[in-house]
Amino acid sequence: MHVQQWHRHRRLRFAAAVCSATALTLAAAACSSTSSNTSSSGGTRISGGTAAWAEQPSAVPNYIFPFVSGTYASTANISEFQYLMYRPLYWFGNGTSPTFNASLSLATAPVYNGTTVTITMKGWKWSNGETVTAQDVLFWIHMQQAVGAQDWFDFVPGLFPSNVSDVKAVSSTELTMKMNKPYNTTWFTYNELSQITPLPTAWDRTASGPSDCAAVVADCAKVYSYLDSQSKALSTWASSPIWSVVDGPWKLTAYTSDGHATFVPNRAYSGPVKPTLAKFEEVPFTTESAEYNVLQAGAAGGGQKLDFGYLPTTDAPDKPASAAVGQNPVGGYTLAPLIEWAINYFPVNMQSTTGNGPVLSQLYFRQALQYLMNQKAVIDGPLHGYGTYTVGPVGTYPATSYLSPQGHQGDPYPFNPAKAKSLLASHGWNVVPNGVTTCQNPSLCGPGIAKGHQLVFNLPYYDGTNWLGSEMTQLQSNASLAGIKLNLQPKPFDQVTAIGAPNCKVAGTSCNWDMADWGGGWSFSPDYYPSGETLFTSGSAVNSGGYTSSQNDSLITATLTTNSLAPLYNWQNYVTAQLPYIWQPNAPFELSEVADNLRGALPQNSTGQLNPEDWYFVK
Amino acid sequence: MIGFLVRRIAQAVVVVLLVTVITFILLRAIPGNVAVAILGPSGFRNPALLAAFNREYGFDQPWFDQYLMWLGHLLHGNLGFSWTLDQSVSSELGQHLPKTIVLVGLSIILALVVAVPVGLWQAAQRNRLVDYAFTGFSFLFYAAPSFFVGTVLILVFSVKLHIFGPEGPQGGLVSDLTDWRDMTLPVVTLALITMALFSRYMRSAVLDNISQDYVRTARAKGASQRRVLWRHVLRNSLIPIATLLGLALPAILGGALITESVFNYPGMGYMFFKAAQQQDYPTLLGFIIVVAIAVVVGSLLADIAYAILDPRVRYIRS
Repeated sequence: MHVQQWHRHRRLRFAAAVCSATALTLAAAACSSTSSNTSSSGGTRISGGTAAWAEQPSAVPNYIFPFVSGTYASTANISEFQYLMYRPLYWFGNGTSPTFNASLSLATAPVYNGTTVTITMKGWKWSNGETVTAQDVLFWIHMQQAVGAQDWFDFVPGLFPSNVSDVKAVSSTELTMKMNKPYNTTWFTYNELSQITPLPTAWDRTASGPSDCAAVVADCAKVYSYLDSQSKALSTWASSPIWSVVDGPWKLTAYTSDGHATFVPNRAYSGPVKPTLAKFEEVPFTTESAEYNVLQAGAAGGGQKLDFGYLPTTDAPDKPASAAVGQNPVGGYTLAPLIEWAINYFPVNMQSTTGNGPVLSQLYFRQALQYLMNQKAVIDGPLHGYGTYTVGPVGTYPATSYLSPQGHQGDPYPFNPAKAKSLLASHGWNVVPNGVTTCQNPSLCGPGIAKGHQLVFNLPYYDGTNWLGSEMTQLQSNASLAGIKLNLQPKPFDQVTAIGAPNCKVAGTSCNWDMADWGGGWSFSPDYYPSGETLFTSGSAVNSGGYTSSQNDSLITATLTTNSLAPLYNWQNYVTAQLPYIWQPNAPFELSEVADNLRGALPQNSTGQLNPEDWYFVK
Repeated sequence: MIGFLVRRIAQAVVVVLLVTVITFILLRAIPGNVAVAILGPSGFRNPALLAAFNREYGFDQPWFDQYLMWLGHLLHGNLGFSWTLDQSVSSELGQHLPKTIVLVGLSIILALVVAVPVGLWQAAQRNRLVDYAFTGFSFLFYAAPSFFVGTVLILVFSVKLHIFGPEGPQGGLVSDLTDWRDMTLPVVTLALITMALFSRYMRSAVLDNISQDYVRTARAKGASQRRVLWRHVLRNSLIPIATLLGLALPAILGGALITESVFNYPGMGYMFFKAAQQQDYPTLLGFIIVVAIAVVVGSLLADIAYAILDPRVRYIRS
């Protein structure tokens, strides 16, 4: 369910308190994503104007149908494109908090009664005048039942919708379903129902005419096939009668396959905040440098102006300890780091067939390696002070109730080469600083480790991010202090994930690798509750390092079935110490730059959702 | 000449085929599972999905079977489908190739228009201050990487002086030809590097020719320096430039790749850049086919130009 930060693509999942629909008096402030720039004030609000927003390098929208397969699942497609037009049933994100947002959701908060879940629609409208109904929700669920195993990016065998039955639209406003056992209701809302995006009746068709996927699951495969083909006809998106039916605040009016997208307000939008801007434009860039050139030229009074761009990490000003950001090098803009609700790590492959599998399976070795990861130096150095610590399987930013009291205490393995050496020496290794440490006493080294075995590992890593390159060379240097030799192998992102992201035994990919670092770890979206069923369960396909523990599995099961934070704390405390991965700092998704005359864009949503309907210009 | 052309075209086809075979092997040698890279977590959560992807795109076949399948499609005009860009490769080429042709074409024209007279002038002013000055500039731009030249030009002419735009035109072909404000810096960046190369060759060729007997004869008959240079020396000095033009085409395309990236210009370089990062094999192969064809065509055109410019050259079997 959780989604890895492929290409800085996808998003997070979520935590924190659910905004109650009854907290109406504070709803606008607490539950809506409306906000204003924290560093700029004054000016008169004006209606209209075009805001230009910079897309991430080489990350452009290329799929419009909000039923996304793994091939097209990306932040660029989902959060930053589809969600502008097609709203998920439940919205997550309140300012920086990755929490349930009742005011932006299409239905009121789900009601749980035993194993029965009731969803009540608010009666918002599609742009063609039809109401967003329970049947539209059923349309999505039926689609999921029909083709989800192949074509829904967040499909997990055994979980939604396999874990519900008797899903039915009681009326146009009410839908009920029965869970196969009692679940933690927060988990069910945040990780299961969070995936649903209602689909309009106008889409329930094939090339030959109307169909009835909303009522008959058997009809859905052909409907999916038709909509998928329409989604692949990129040049027709802006004029398509299919994709012009929206329930979000924006409609697409122009699109080129290079990634230029222009939106105008959907006047029929039923949400609480209607767009003020006349147009919202997404602008593609080849590299961060190309974007920065345009940002600087616009800021200096040149032609094109980006209203919302970003600063390359290498150009980031050092952040003083006492300030949120350093001196912004771009005049007339507010610098605001966007840090996602995520954790960062890299896997060590305990199933490795290189001969190092038995070493990597040893907890003391993983502890030694973790003691050589200097998170503070990486945050203060290449990240210029903008990173956050990863202290375990639950993110430290933004602040949520999901992080255990132990997690709040900070890095559990602060940089300590002496401890690393001591751990190795006490387990039968002849530690040779700046040389190669070898096993001297196999009975202490561990099962399967022969006398003379050397601590030499290949470590492919993503070479497209400067800070990660610096972290890798720093780790290589630190590891040499304990005689651990890391052969760094810079590679493109997709190559690193193709090597190291899957659980090789489950996915059937090659196990001939020791470690791999794609730099992004894991972000929590669209399953915002940081439980570990997907990433940490034994035998899970995305349990990259193949970590196996029956105790861990039973602790995870408790987090899914108990309406309490205690099991989540117990599990994270346990798994933090077990080091199924090597924890590393969480870098900002981007260092956003917001023009001072653009308001409403800050603070940014840590779930990665984009809400330009909140934006407006001042003069 | 016709026999020569037939032989050269046959050779060109063989060269292009060899390039595709080598590229195909190299792409398949990249470590990691393509299906995993493309499908992401949903792929490896569901091994059946990986198998379906491999089956659909032929990754479950031996590489030579995959190659033959790709070649068969190519011969039917089908370059494949890019799963990352969600378009057919031919459609991508249709969008991006014309923009690169415009960029490369304009920069070559600009480079020739400047480099030829400059080389001629340098040779005529040999070992004088102006010669040394242009030689210095040539070395500077010849040595400077295109990303550096482009970045400096942006900082000076866009960020500081606001004369030109910081990125290339973002619209279609029409905007490339009409939006001079945005098109100038990418064209000049690419041209400056090519210009440095061409002017050096031009200077050298003119110096070779200027000491020839036919020049001495022309001067003896009372021809002015201008007439000697423009009427007699220029045409003969263009022969190495024509050859160079053909052979430099791959390097110019390579420079365009970087220049497009610096100027956010959505041409072939942009397409290649994304495809290389995302293991998008069909797009990479499509790009390489285009470059391979451009190289062999460039080389062929250089040979033909050589024959036209130099009457002594005749392509006949001895």
